Amino acid sequence: MNTAATKANLLGRIGGLDRIPAIPAVLAPLLRHLRQPVEQLDVQEITDMIAQDKPLAAQCLQMANSPLFGRWQKVDSLRGAVVGLGFHRISDIAMSCGVLNLMPKQNAGIDPVVFWEHSLGCALVCRHFARKISYSDPGKAYLAGLLHDLGIIVNLRVLPREFCDAYELARARGIPLHEAEQAVLGFTHCDSGRLLADKWDLSPDLKEVVALHHNLHPSHDHAGLVALVELSDLLCRMSGLNYGYVESRQVNLFEEKGFAVLSRQCQGLKDLDWARLTFEMESYMDAVHALVCAIYRT
Amino acid sequence: MTTAALYPVTALEGPPDADLVRIRDLVYQVAGIFHPDNKLRLLLDRCGRRMKELKTASLREYFECLTVKPMRQTELVALLNEITIGETCFFRSQSQMDGLRQIVIPKVLEAKSKLPLRRLRIWSAGCSTGEEPYTLSMLLLEEAHGRLKDWSIEILATDLNDRSLAHARNAIYGAYSTRNLTSHFRQKYFTAAAKQLRVQPAVRGSVTFSRLNLSDDGRMTFMKAIDVIFCCNVLIYFDLLSKRRVIQHFHNNLLPHGYLFLGHSESLYGVSDDFRLVHLPGATAYIKGERKPAGK
Repeated sequence: MNTAATKANLLGRIGGLDRIPAIPAVLAPLLRHLRQPVEQLDVQEITDMIAQDKPLAAQCLQMANSPLFGRWQKVDSLRGAVVGLGFHRISDIAMSCGVLNLMPKQNAGIDPVVFWEHSLGCALVCRHFARKISYSDPGKAYLAGLLHDLGIIVNLRVLPREFCDAYELARARGIPLHEAEQAVLGFTHCDSGRLLADKWDLSPDLKEVVALHHNLHPSHDHAGLVALVELSDLLCRMSGLNYGYVESRQVNLFEEKGFAVLSRQCQGLKDLDWARLTFEMESYMDAVHALVCAIYRT
Repeated sequence: MTTAALYPVTALEGPPDADLVRIRDLVYQVAGIFHPDNKLRLLLDRCGRRMKELKTASLREYFECLTVKPMRQTELVALLNEITIGETCFFRSQSQMDGLRQIVIPKVLEAKSKLPLRRLRIWSAGCSTGEEPYTLSMLLLEEAHGRLKDWSIEILATDLNDRSLAHARNAIYGAYSTRNLTSHFRQKYFTAAAKQLRVQPAVRGSVTFSRLNLSDDGRMTFMKAIDVIFCCNVLIYFDLLSKRRVIQHFHNNLLPHGYLFLGHSESLYGVSDDFRLVHLPGATAYIKGERKPAGK
Protein backbone atom coordinates (compact mmCIF):
# COMPACT_ATOMS: atom_id res chain seq x y z
CA MET A 1 0.00 0.00 0.00
CA ASN A 2 1.32 3.48 -0.76
CA THR A 3 2.66 5.63 2.01
CA ALA A 4 -0.54 7.63 2.40
CA ALA A 5 -2.44 4.53 3.31
CA THR A 6 -2.70 3.71 6.97
CA LYS A 7 -3.40 0.58 8.91
CA ALA A 8 -6.79 2.06 9.79
CA ASN A 9 -7.98 2.52 6.25
CA LEU A 10 -6.62 -0.88 5.24
CA LEU A 11 -8.61 -2.41 8.08
CA GLY A 12 -11.63 -0.47 6.89
CA ARG A 13 -11.11 -1.84 3.40
CA ILE A 14 -11.02 -5.45 4.55
CA GLY A 15 -13.79 -5.06 7.14
CA GLY A 16 -11.93 -5.15 10.45
CA LEU A 17 -9.40 -7.22 12.30
CA ASP A 18 -11.97 -9.91 13.06
CA ARG A 19 -11.90 -10.95 9.42
CA ILE A 20 -8.20 -11.79 9.57
CA PRO A 21 -7.85 -15.55 10.20
CA ALA A 22 -6.89 -16.54 13.74
CA ILE A 23 -3.68 -18.47 14.26
CA PRO A 24 -4.27 -22.25 13.89
CA ALA A 25 -4.18 -24.07 17.24
CA VAL A 26 -1.03 -26.02 16.49
CA LEU A 27 0.99 -23.06 15.25
CA ALA A 28 0.96 -20.90 18.38
CA PRO A 29 2.94 -23.36 20.54
CA LEU A 30 5.22 -24.23 17.61
CA LEU A 31 6.09 -20.60 17.03
CA ARG A 32 6.48 -20.00 20.77
CA HIS A 33 8.77 -23.00 21.12
CA LEU A 34 10.87 -21.88 18.20
CA ARG A 35 11.87 -18.82 20.19
CA GLN A 36 13.12 -20.98 23.05
CA PRO A 37 16.51 -22.63 23.44
CA VAL A 38 16.52 -26.20 22.15
CA GLU A 39 17.05 -27.69 25.63
CA GLN A 40 13.81 -26.11 26.86
CA LEU A 41 11.66 -27.65 24.12
CA ASP A 42 8.96 -30.02 25.28
CA VAL A 43 9.05 -32.34 22.28
CA GLN A 44 6.49 -34.73 23.72
CA GLU A 45 3.95 -31.99 24.32
CA ILE A 46 4.15 -30.75 20.75
CA THR A 47 4.12 -34.22 19.23
CA ASP A 48 0.99 -35.03 21.24
CA MET A 49 -0.63 -31.82 20.09
CA ILE A 50 0.00 -32.64 16.43
CA ALA A 51 -1.17 -36.22 16.96
CA GLN A 52 -4.52 -35.03 18.34
CA ASP A 53 -5.33 -33.30 15.07
CA LYS A 54 -5.81 -36.41 12.92
CA PRO A 55 -5.93 -34.78 9.45
CA LEU A 56 -2.91 -32.65 10.32
CA ALA A 57 -1.05 -35.68 11.67
CA ALA A 58 -1.80 -37.59 8.44
CA GLN A 59 -0.48 -34.72 6.31
CA CYS A 60 2.63 -34.48 8.49
CA LEU A 61 3.33 -38.15 7.97
CA GLN A 62 2.95 -37.78 4.23
CA MET A 63 5.47 -34.95 4.24
CA ALA A 64 7.78 -36.81 6.59
CA ASN A 65 7.91 -39.63 4.03
CA SER A 66 8.86 -37.31 1.18
CA PRO A 67 12.49 -37.16 -0.01
CA LEU A 68 12.10 -33.38 0.27
CA PHE A 69 12.48 -33.73 4.00
CA GLY A 70 15.42 -36.06 3.80
CA ARG A 71 13.66 -39.29 4.67
CA TRP A 72 14.24 -42.35 2.52
CA GLN A 73 12.78 -45.02 4.79
CA LYS A 74 9.07 -45.16 5.44
CA VAL A 75 7.85 -43.90 8.79
CA ASP A 76 4.31 -44.70 9.88
CA SER A 77 3.96 -42.84 13.15
CA LEU A 78 4.59 -39.32 14.32
CA ARG A 79 6.85 -40.62 17.04
CA GLY A 80 8.85 -42.50 14.39
CA ALA A 81 9.03 -39.32 12.32
CA VAL A 82 10.34 -37.29 15.26
CA VAL A 83 12.95 -39.93 16.00
CA GLY A 84 13.94 -40.33 12.34
CA LEU A 85 13.92 -36.72 11.21
CA GLY A 86 14.46 -34.79 14.42
CA PHE A 87 12.14 -32.39 16.13
CA HIS A 88 13.04 -29.33 14.08
CA ARG A 89 12.21 -31.03 10.79
CA ILE A 90 8.87 -32.23 12.17
CA SER A 91 8.23 -28.75 13.45
CA ASP A 92 8.86 -27.39 9.92
CA ILE A 93 6.48 -29.98 8.54
CA ALA A 94 3.71 -29.31 11.07
CA MET A 95 4.07 -25.59 10.52
CA SER A 96 3.82 -26.06 6.76
CA CYS A 97 0.64 -28.11 7.00
CA GLY A 98 -0.87 -25.86 9.67
CA VAL A 99 -0.35 -22.71 7.62
CA LEU A 100 -1.25 -24.08 4.22
CA ASN A 101 -4.48 -25.61 5.53
CA LEU A 102 -5.70 -22.04 6.02
CA MET A 103 -5.95 -21.77 2.26
CA PRO A 104 -9.58 -22.31 1.25
CA LYS A 105 -9.80 -25.59 -0.70
CA GLN A 106 -12.35 -24.14 -3.10
CA ASN A 107 -11.98 -20.65 -4.45
CA ALA A 108 -12.53 -18.81 -7.67
CA GLY A 109 -9.00 -17.43 -7.93
CA ILE A 110 -5.64 -19.02 -7.33
CA ASP A 111 -5.62 -22.84 -7.27
CA PRO A 112 -4.87 -23.95 -3.67
CA VAL A 113 -2.55 -26.68 -5.00
CA VAL A 114 -0.54 -24.02 -6.80
CA PHE A 115 -0.39 -21.86 -3.68
CA TRP A 116 0.83 -24.82 -1.61
CA GLU A 117 3.44 -25.62 -4.25
CA HIS A 118 4.70 -22.05 -4.36
CA SER A 119 4.85 -21.63 -0.57
CA LEU A 120 6.41 -25.01 0.14
CA GLY A 121 8.74 -24.66 -2.84
CA CYS A 122 9.82 -21.20 -1.74
CA ALA A 123 10.48 -22.50 1.80
CA LEU A 124 12.71 -25.27 0.44
CA VAL A 125 14.51 -22.95 -1.98
CA CYS A 126 15.09 -20.42 0.83
CA ARG A 127 16.68 -23.12 3.00
CA HIS A 128 18.79 -24.47 0.14
CA PHE A 129 19.86 -20.98 -0.93
CA ALA A 130 20.67 -20.10 2.71
CA ARG A 131 22.94 -23.11 3.02
CA LYS A 132 24.64 -22.34 -0.29
CA ILE A 133 25.63 -18.86 0.81
CA SER A 134 26.36 -19.84 4.43
CA TYR A 135 23.48 -17.76 5.78
CA SER A 136 23.42 -18.04 9.56
CA ASP A 137 19.97 -19.62 10.07
CA PRO A 138 18.69 -21.89 7.26
CA GLY A 139 15.84 -23.08 9.52
CA LYS A 140 14.56 -19.54 9.86
CA ALA A 141 14.95 -19.12 6.11
CA TYR A 142 12.63 -22.11 5.58
CA LEU A 143 10.00 -20.64 7.86
CA ALA A 144 10.28 -17.22 6.26
CA GLY A 145 9.82 -18.73 2.79
CA LEU A 146 6.83 -20.71 3.98
CA LEU A 147 5.08 -17.73 5.57
CA HIS A 148 6.00 -14.94 3.16
CA ASP A 149 2.70 -15.00 1.26
CA LEU A 150 0.33 -15.24 4.24
CA GLY A 151 -1.30 -12.05 2.98
CA ILE A 152 -2.64 -13.91 -0.06
CA ILE A 153 -4.70 -16.11 2.27
CA VAL A 154 -6.07 -12.96 3.92
CA ASN A 155 -6.96 -11.37 0.58
CA LEU A 156 -8.59 -14.54 -0.63
CA ARG A 157 -10.69 -14.84 2.52
CA VAL A 158 -11.74 -11.24 3.02
CA LEU A 159 -12.05 -9.95 -0.55
CA PRO A 160 -12.36 -13.08 -2.69
CA ARG A 161 -13.98 -11.45 -5.73
CA GLU A 162 -11.57 -8.54 -5.92
CA PHE A 163 -8.59 -10.79 -5.30
CA CYS A 164 -9.79 -13.09 -8.08
CA ASP A 165 -9.93 -10.07 -10.42
CA ALA A 166 -6.39 -9.13 -9.42
CA TYR A 167 -5.17 -12.67 -9.99
CA GLU A 168 -6.81 -12.84 -13.41
CA LEU A 169 -5.28 -9.49 -14.35
CA ALA A 170 -1.83 -10.70 -13.29
CA ARG A 171 -2.25 -13.93 -15.23
CA ALA A 172 -3.58 -12.26 -18.37
CA ARG A 173 -0.77 -9.69 -18.49
CA GLY A 174 1.99 -11.90 -17.11
CA ILE A 175 2.77 -9.33 -14.42
CA PRO A 176 3.73 -9.88 -10.76
CA LEU A 177 0.72 -10.58 -8.55
CA HIS A 178 1.46 -7.76 -6.11
CA GLU A 179 1.35 -5.21 -8.93
CA ALA A 180 -2.07 -6.46 -9.99
CA GLU A 181 -3.27 -6.42 -6.37
CA GLN A 182 -2.15 -2.82 -6.02
CA ALA A 183 -4.05 -1.90 -9.17
CA VAL A 184 -7.26 -3.73 -8.29
CA LEU A 185 -7.38 -3.77 -4.48
CA GLY A 186 -5.33 -0.68 -3.72
CA PHE A 187 -3.05 -2.72 -1.47
CA THR A 188 -0.94 -5.86 -1.76
CA HIS A 189 -0.64 -9.15 0.10
CA CYS A 190 2.32 -7.60 1.92
CA ASP A 191 -0.01 -5.02 3.48
CA SER A 192 -2.67 -7.52 4.51
CA GLY A 193 0.04 -9.98 5.54
CA ARG A 194 1.39 -7.37 7.94
CA LEU A 195 -1.98 -7.24 9.72
CA LEU A 196 -2.02 -11.00 10.04
CA ALA A 197 1.58 -11.13 11.22
CA ASP A 198 0.72 -8.59 13.93
CA LYS A 199 -2.39 -10.48 14.97
CA TRP A 200 -0.46 -13.74 15.17
CA ASP A 201 2.37 -12.01 16.99
CA LEU A 202 5.02 -13.39 14.66
CA SER A 203 8.63 -12.65 15.56
CA PRO A 204 9.92 -9.26 14.27
CA ASP A 205 12.05 -10.83 11.51
CA LEU A 206 9.14 -12.89 10.14
CA LYS A 207 6.89 -9.83 10.31
CA GLU A 208 9.35 -7.95 8.13
CA VAL A 209 9.48 -10.80 5.62
CA VAL A 210 5.69 -11.00 5.35
CA ALA A 211 5.28 -7.22 5.10
CA LEU A 212 8.29 -6.20 3.01
CA HIS A 213 9.34 -8.96 0.62
CA HIS A 214 8.19 -6.85 -2.34
CA ASN A 215 9.41 -3.59 -0.88
CA LEU A 216 12.79 -4.23 0.67
CA HIS A 217 14.86 -1.39 2.08
CA PRO A 218 18.48 -1.88 3.18
CA SER A 219 17.83 -0.05 6.45
CA HIS A 220 15.29 -2.57 7.70
CA ASP A 221 16.31 -4.46 10.83
CA HIS A 222 16.12 -7.86 9.16
CA ALA A 223 16.90 -6.85 5.60
CA GLY A 224 19.14 -9.90 5.05
CA LEU A 225 16.35 -12.39 5.69
CA VAL A 226 13.87 -10.34 3.66
CA ALA A 227 16.39 -10.18 0.80
CA LEU A 228 16.92 -13.93 0.90
CA VAL A 229 13.17 -14.50 0.63
CA GLU A 230 12.77 -11.85 -2.07
CA LEU A 231 15.37 -13.53 -4.29
CA SER A 232 14.10 -17.07 -3.62
CA ASP A 233 10.52 -15.99 -4.32
CA LEU A 234 11.65 -14.44 -7.58
CA LEU A 235 13.47 -17.63 -8.62
CA CYS A 236 10.32 -19.65 -7.84
CA ARG A 237 8.07 -17.30 -9.79
CA MET A 238 10.34 -17.51 -12.85
CA SER A 239 10.30 -21.32 -12.70
CA GLY A 240 7.69 -24.06 -12.34
CA LEU A 241 7.08 -23.08 -8.70
CA ASN A 242 5.13 -19.96 -9.65
CA TYR A 243 1.53 -18.91 -8.93
CA GLY A 244 0.13 -20.94 -11.80
CA TYR A 245 1.14 -18.52 -14.55
CA VAL A 246 4.42 -17.34 -16.00
CA GLU A 247 5.54 -13.78 -15.45
CA SER A 248 6.44 -12.52 -18.88
CA ARG A 249 9.67 -10.70 -18.14
CA GLN A 250 13.41 -10.93 -17.78
CA VAL A 251 14.97 -11.00 -14.31
CA ASN A 252 18.55 -10.01 -13.67
CA LEU A 253 19.09 -11.07 -10.05
CA PHE A 254 22.28 -9.01 -9.86
CA GLU A 255 20.21 -5.85 -10.26
CA GLU A 256 17.66 -6.73 -7.59
CA LYS A 257 17.73 -4.76 -4.34
CA GLY A 258 17.89 -8.03 -2.43
CA PHE A 259 21.13 -8.98 -4.14
CA ALA A 260 22.93 -5.83 -2.98
CA VAL A 261 21.60 -6.21 0.58
CA LEU A 262 22.43 -9.89 0.87
CA SER A 263 25.89 -9.40 -0.69
CA ARG A 264 26.84 -7.20 2.24
CA GLN A 265 25.81 -9.89 4.73
CA CYS A 266 26.86 -13.11 3.05
CA GLN A 267 30.27 -13.35 1.45
CA GLY A 268 29.16 -16.64 -0.09
CA LEU A 269 26.81 -14.80 -2.44
CA LYS A 270 29.70 -13.32 -4.41
CA ASP A 271 30.78 -16.70 -5.74
CA LEU A 272 27.36 -18.34 -5.91
CA ASP A 273 26.75 -20.46 -8.99
CA TRP A 274 23.28 -19.12 -9.87
CA ALA A 275 22.95 -21.42 -12.85
CA ARG A 276 23.49 -24.51 -10.71
CA LEU A 277 21.05 -23.24 -8.08
CA THR A 278 18.47 -22.76 -10.83
CA PHE A 279 19.05 -26.26 -12.21
CA GLU A 280 18.88 -27.76 -8.71
CA MET A 281 15.46 -26.21 -8.23
CA GLU A 282 14.16 -28.48 -10.98
CA SER A 283 14.35 -31.46 -8.67
CA TYR A 284 12.24 -29.62 -6.08
CA MET A 285 9.55 -28.93 -8.65
CA ASP A 286 8.83 -32.60 -9.32
CA ALA A 287 9.03 -33.60 -5.66
CA VAL A 288 6.91 -30.68 -4.43
CA HIS A 289 4.31 -31.35 -7.10
CA ALA A 290 4.13 -35.06 -6.20
CA LEU A 291 3.88 -34.31 -2.49
CA VAL A 292 1.19 -31.64 -2.75
CA CYS A 293 -0.85 -33.79 -5.13
CA ALA A 294 -0.60 -36.69 -2.68
CA ILE A 295 -1.73 -34.49 0.21
CA TYR A 296 -4.66 -33.18 -1.77
CA ARG A 297 -5.77 -36.67 -2.78
CA THR A 298 -6.18 -37.67 0.89
CA MET B 1 26.80 -60.53 -9.06
CA THR B 2 24.33 -60.62 -11.92
CA THR B 3 24.57 -58.41 -14.98
CA ALA B 4 21.51 -56.51 -13.83
CA ALA B 5 23.20 -55.77 -10.55
CA LEU B 6 26.36 -54.71 -12.35
CA TYR B 7 24.60 -52.08 -14.39
CA PRO B 8 21.93 -50.56 -12.15
CA VAL B 9 20.41 -48.45 -14.88
CA THR B 10 16.73 -48.46 -14.03
CA ALA B 11 16.32 -48.19 -10.29
CA LEU B 12 17.12 -45.07 -8.34
CA GLU B 13 15.38 -45.44 -5.02
CA GLY B 14 16.66 -43.92 -1.82
CA PRO B 15 19.25 -41.18 -1.57
CA PRO B 16 21.41 -40.63 -4.66
CA ASP B 17 24.43 -42.90 -4.93
CA ALA B 18 27.52 -41.01 -3.74
CA ASP B 19 29.58 -42.15 -6.74
CA LEU B 20 26.85 -41.09 -9.15
CA VAL B 21 26.85 -37.67 -7.48
CA ARG B 22 30.64 -37.51 -7.95
CA ILE B 23 30.19 -38.30 -11.64
CA ARG B 24 27.45 -35.66 -11.85
CA ASP B 25 29.77 -33.08 -10.28
CA LEU B 26 32.66 -34.09 -12.54
CA VAL B 27 30.50 -33.71 -15.67
CA TYR B 28 29.38 -30.30 -14.42
CA GLN B 29 32.89 -29.17 -13.58
CA VAL B 30 34.42 -30.31 -16.84
CA ALA B 31 31.59 -29.87 -19.33
CA GLY B 32 29.21 -27.42 -17.62
CA ILE B 33 26.15 -29.69 -17.94
CA PHE B 34 24.24 -30.23 -14.70
CA HIS B 35 21.91 -33.10 -13.82
CA PRO B 36 19.60 -32.13 -10.95
CA ASP B 37 18.53 -34.93 -8.60
CA ASN B 38 15.38 -35.64 -10.59
CA LYS B 39 17.52 -36.22 -13.71
CA LEU B 40 20.09 -38.48 -12.05
CA ARG B 41 18.24 -41.51 -13.37
CA LEU B 42 19.07 -40.29 -16.87
CA LEU B 43 22.74 -39.89 -15.98
CA LEU B 44 22.72 -43.33 -14.37
CA ASP B 45 21.28 -44.77 -17.55
CA ARG B 46 23.97 -43.09 -19.68
CA CYS B 47 26.74 -44.25 -17.34
CA GLY B 48 25.20 -47.72 -17.44
CA ARG B 49 25.57 -47.86 -21.23
CA ARG B 50 29.22 -46.90 -21.01
CA MET B 51 29.85 -49.31 -18.13
CA LYS B 52 28.36 -52.12 -20.17
CA GLU B 53 30.67 -51.23 -23.06
CA LEU B 54 33.70 -51.11 -20.77
CA LYS B 55 32.57 -54.09 -18.67
CA THR B 56 32.95 -51.96 -15.58
CA ALA B 57 31.45 -53.41 -12.44
CA SER B 58 30.56 -50.36 -10.36
CA LEU B 59 30.02 -46.63 -10.53
CA ARG B 60 33.08 -46.19 -8.36
CA GLU B 61 35.20 -48.02 -10.91
CA TYR B 62 33.61 -46.06 -13.72
CA PHE B 63 34.40 -42.80 -11.90
CA GLU B 64 38.04 -43.92 -11.93
CA CYS B 65 37.79 -44.53 -15.68
CA LEU B 66 36.75 -40.90 -15.99
CA THR B 67 39.37 -39.45 -13.69
CA VAL B 68 42.41 -41.64 -13.10
CA LYS B 69 42.89 -44.16 -15.89
CA PRO B 70 44.81 -43.21 -19.05
CA MET B 71 41.64 -43.46 -21.15
CA ARG B 72 39.92 -40.76 -19.09
CA GLN B 73 39.79 -38.07 -21.80
CA THR B 74 38.35 -40.42 -24.40
CA GLU B 75 35.91 -41.88 -21.92
CA LEU B 76 34.68 -38.47 -20.86
CA VAL B 77 33.93 -37.59 -24.49
CA ALA B 78 32.18 -40.95 -24.90
CA LEU B 79 30.01 -40.22 -21.85
CA LEU B 80 29.22 -36.69 -23.07
CA ASN B 81 28.18 -38.18 -26.40
CA GLU B 82 25.82 -40.51 -24.54
CA ILE B 83 24.45 -37.62 -22.51
CA THR B 84 23.67 -35.46 -25.52
CA ILE B 85 22.59 -38.24 -27.88
CA GLY B 86 19.18 -37.70 -29.42
CA GLU B 87 19.00 -34.13 -28.19
CA THR B 88 18.90 -32.67 -31.68
CA CYS B 89 15.33 -32.04 -32.72
CA PHE B 90 13.01 -29.22 -33.69
CA PHE B 91 11.85 -27.16 -30.70
CA ARG B 92 14.30 -28.89 -28.40
CA SER B 93 13.59 -26.39 -25.61
CA GLN B 94 10.14 -24.83 -25.83
CA SER B 95 10.79 -22.50 -22.87
CA GLN B 96 13.92 -21.12 -24.57
CA MET B 97 11.95 -20.49 -27.74
CA ASP B 98 9.13 -18.84 -25.79
CA GLY B 99 11.68 -16.67 -23.99
CA LEU B 100 13.25 -15.68 -27.31
CA ARG B 101 9.94 -14.77 -28.88
CA GLN B 102 8.23 -13.08 -25.96
CA ILE B 103 11.09 -11.38 -24.14
CA VAL B 104 14.34 -11.33 -26.09
CA ILE B 105 13.14 -10.31 -29.57
CA PRO B 106 11.08 -7.35 -28.25
CA LYS B 107 14.08 -6.19 -26.20
CA VAL B 108 16.44 -6.48 -29.16
CA LEU B 109 14.03 -4.62 -31.45
CA GLU B 110 13.67 -1.87 -28.87
CA ALA B 111 17.45 -1.56 -28.57
CA LYS B 112 17.72 -1.26 -32.38
CA SER B 113 14.64 0.87 -32.89
CA LYS B 114 16.61 4.05 -33.63
CA LEU B 115 19.01 2.44 -36.08
CA PRO B 116 18.39 2.93 -39.80
CA LEU B 117 19.14 -0.72 -40.65
CA ARG B 118 16.28 -2.98 -39.56
CA ARG B 119 18.17 -6.24 -39.49
CA LEU B 120 18.16 -9.10 -37.01
CA ARG B 121 21.14 -11.47 -36.99
CA ILE B 122 20.93 -14.74 -35.11
CA TRP B 123 23.75 -17.26 -35.01
CA SER B 124 23.27 -20.95 -34.37
CA ALA B 125 26.84 -21.91 -33.41
CA GLY B 126 27.22 -25.68 -33.67
CA CYS B 127 23.99 -26.17 -35.58
CA SER B 128 24.55 -29.90 -36.17
CA THR B 129 21.96 -31.19 -38.69
CA GLY B 130 20.01 -27.94 -38.86
CA GLU B 131 16.98 -28.44 -36.61
CA GLU B 132 17.86 -25.47 -34.40
CA PRO B 133 18.32 -22.80 -37.10
CA TYR B 134 15.18 -23.97 -38.92
CA THR B 135 13.25 -23.80 -35.64
CA LEU B 136 14.48 -20.23 -35.20
CA SER B 137 13.51 -19.40 -38.75
CA MET B 138 9.97 -20.74 -38.28
CA LEU B 139 9.59 -18.86 -35.05
CA LEU B 140 10.64 -15.59 -36.65
CA LEU B 141 8.39 -16.20 -39.64
CA GLU B 142 5.50 -16.35 -37.18
CA GLU B 143 6.34 -12.74 -36.31
CA ALA B 144 6.91 -11.65 -39.91
CA HIS B 145 3.61 -9.80 -40.18
CA GLY B 146 3.73 -8.58 -36.61
CA ARG B 147 6.61 -7.07 -34.74
CA LEU B 148 9.16 -8.19 -37.36
CA LYS B 149 7.34 -6.54 -40.26
CA ASP B 150 9.91 -4.71 -42.43
CA TRP B 151 12.82 -6.36 -40.65
CA SER B 152 15.31 -8.48 -42.55
CA ILE B 153 16.26 -11.71 -40.85
CA GLU B 154 19.60 -13.47 -41.11
CA ILE B 155 20.17 -16.78 -39.42
CA LEU B 156 23.79 -17.87 -39.60
CA ALA B 157 24.18 -21.57 -38.95
CA THR B 158 27.66 -23.00 -38.54
CA ASP B 159 29.12 -26.37 -37.71
CA LEU B 160 32.45 -28.10 -37.95
CA ASN B 161 31.08 -31.31 -39.43
CA ASP B 162 30.57 -31.35 -43.22
CA ARG B 163 28.22 -34.34 -43.10
CA SER B 164 25.96 -32.61 -40.58
CA LEU B 165 25.94 -29.51 -42.76
CA ALA B 166 25.03 -31.55 -45.85
CA HIS B 167 22.13 -33.08 -43.91
CA ALA B 168 21.07 -29.60 -42.80
CA ARG B 169 21.14 -28.21 -46.35
CA ASN B 170 19.13 -31.21 -47.55
CA ALA B 171 16.46 -30.22 -45.01
CA ILE B 172 14.67 -33.59 -44.83
CA TYR B 173 13.93 -35.01 -41.39
CA GLY B 174 12.53 -38.19 -39.88
CA ALA B 175 10.09 -38.84 -37.09
CA TYR B 176 12.60 -38.53 -34.25
CA SER B 177 13.79 -35.05 -35.20
CA THR B 178 10.26 -33.81 -35.76
CA ARG B 179 8.68 -35.35 -32.65
CA ASN B 180 8.15 -32.03 -30.85
CA LEU B 181 6.52 -30.24 -33.80
CA THR B 182 2.96 -29.10 -33.18
CA SER B 183 0.50 -29.69 -35.98
CA HIS B 184 0.52 -25.93 -36.65
CA PHE B 185 4.25 -25.86 -37.46
CA ARG B 186 4.16 -29.25 -39.18
CA GLN B 187 1.42 -28.21 -41.58
CA LYS B 188 2.58 -24.67 -42.16
CA TYR B 189 6.31 -25.15 -42.72
CA PHE B 190 6.85 -28.74 -43.93
CA THR B 191 5.90 -30.86 -46.91
CA ALA B 192 5.84 -34.64 -47.00
CA ALA B 193 8.87 -36.35 -48.55
CA ALA B 194 8.18 -40.10 -48.62
CA LYS B 195 7.88 -40.97 -44.91
CA GLN B 196 9.83 -37.92 -43.89
CA LEU B 197 9.27 -34.17 -43.78
CA ARG B 198 10.96 -31.54 -45.89
CA VAL B 199 11.43 -27.99 -44.63
CA GLN B 200 9.73 -25.51 -46.94
CA PRO B 201 11.80 -22.97 -48.93
CA ALA B 202 10.36 -20.02 -47.00
CA VAL B 203 11.96 -21.38 -43.83
CA ARG B 204 15.21 -22.24 -45.55
CA GLY B 205 15.48 -18.84 -47.19
CA SER B 206 16.71 -16.95 -44.15
CA VAL B 207 19.22 -19.61 -43.04
CA THR B 208 22.81 -19.62 -44.31
CA PHE B 209 24.89 -22.68 -43.49
CA SER B 210 28.67 -22.62 -43.41
CA ARG B 211 31.53 -24.63 -41.96
CA LEU B 212 33.21 -22.98 -39.00
CA ASN B 213 35.54 -24.20 -36.31
CA LEU B 214 34.77 -22.22 -33.13
CA SER B 215 38.46 -22.51 -32.24
CA ASP B 216 39.48 -20.74 -35.43
CA ASP B 217 40.33 -17.32 -33.99
CA GLY B 218 40.83 -15.77 -37.40
CA ARG B 219 37.38 -16.66 -38.70
CA MET B 220 35.63 -16.08 -35.41
CA THR B 221 36.55 -12.41 -35.51
CA PHE B 222 34.55 -12.03 -38.72
CA MET B 223 31.25 -12.98 -37.07
CA LYS B 224 30.13 -9.43 -36.39
CA ALA B 225 27.05 -7.57 -35.21
CA ILE B 226 25.15 -10.56 -33.85
CA ASP B 227 21.97 -10.03 -31.85
CA VAL B 228 21.48 -13.53 -30.44
CA ILE B 229 23.75 -16.56 -30.30
CA PHE B 230 22.55 -20.10 -29.67
CA CYS B 231 25.35 -22.47 -28.71
CA CYS B 232 23.75 -25.53 -27.16
CA ASN B 233 25.74 -28.56 -25.98
CA VAL B 234 28.77 -27.56 -28.03
CA LEU B 235 31.14 -26.03 -25.48
CA ILE B 236 30.92 -29.15 -23.34
CA TYR B 237 33.56 -30.76 -25.53
CA PHE B 238 36.05 -27.90 -25.14
CA ASP B 239 38.71 -27.68 -22.46
CA LEU B 240 38.58 -24.67 -20.16
CA LEU B 241 41.06 -22.53 -22.08
CA SER B 242 39.37 -23.16 -25.43
CA LYS B 243 35.99 -22.53 -23.86
CA ARG B 244 37.21 -19.18 -22.54
CA ARG B 245 38.51 -18.21 -25.96
CA VAL B 246 35.22 -19.08 -27.64
CA ILE B 247 33.21 -17.19 -25.02
CA GLN B 248 35.51 -14.20 -25.45
CA HIS B 249 34.78 -14.28 -29.17
CA PHE B 250 31.04 -14.54 -28.51
CA HIS B 251 31.33 -11.48 -26.30
CA ASN B 252 32.99 -9.58 -29.13
CA ASN B 253 30.61 -10.94 -31.77
CA LEU B 254 27.49 -9.85 -29.90
CA LEU B 255 26.09 -6.35 -30.07
CA PRO B 256 25.81 -4.61 -26.66
CA HIS B 257 22.18 -5.69 -26.22
CA GLY B 258 22.95 -9.25 -27.38
CA TYR B 259 21.96 -12.55 -25.81
CA LEU B 260 23.70 -15.89 -25.54
CA PHE B 261 21.67 -19.09 -25.10
CA LEU B 262 23.33 -22.32 -23.99
CA GLY B 263 21.79 -25.78 -23.60
CA HIS B 264 18.96 -26.12 -21.09
CA SER B 265 21.18 -27.35 -18.21
CA GLU B 266 24.44 -25.82 -19.38
CA SER B 267 26.32 -23.17 -17.42
CA LEU B 268 29.15 -20.66 -17.88
CA TYR B 269 30.07 -20.75 -14.19
CA GLY B 270 33.84 -20.64 -13.80
CA VAL B 271 34.30 -19.97 -17.52
CA SER B 272 33.57 -16.28 -17.95
CA ASP B 273 32.71 -13.21 -15.90
CA ASP B 274 31.93 -11.22 -19.02
CA PHE B 275 28.37 -12.53 -19.18
CA ARG B 276 25.54 -12.23 -16.67
CA LEU B 277 22.96 -14.95 -16.18
CA VAL B 278 19.37 -13.73 -16.62
CA HIS B 279 16.16 -15.60 -15.95
CA LEU B 280 13.41 -15.80 -18.53
CA PRO B 281 10.19 -17.68 -17.80
CA GLY B 282 11.31 -21.29 -17.37
CA ALA B 283 14.69 -20.69 -19.03
CA THR B 284 17.99 -18.91 -18.60
CA ALA B 285 20.17 -16.90 -20.97
CA TYR B 286 23.28 -14.72 -20.73
CA ILE B 287 23.64 -11.02 -21.42
CA LYS B 288 26.81 -8.99 -21.66
CA GLY B 289 27.89 -7.77 -18.23
CA GLU B 290 29.84 -4.67 -17.32
CA ARG B 291 33.42 -5.34 -18.31
CA LYS B 292 35.86 -4.55 -15.50
CA PRO B 293 38.51 -1.97 -16.41
CA ALA B 294 41.93 -3.52 -16.91
CA GLY B 295 44.06 -3.72 -13.78
CA LYS B 296 41.15 -3.34 -11.36
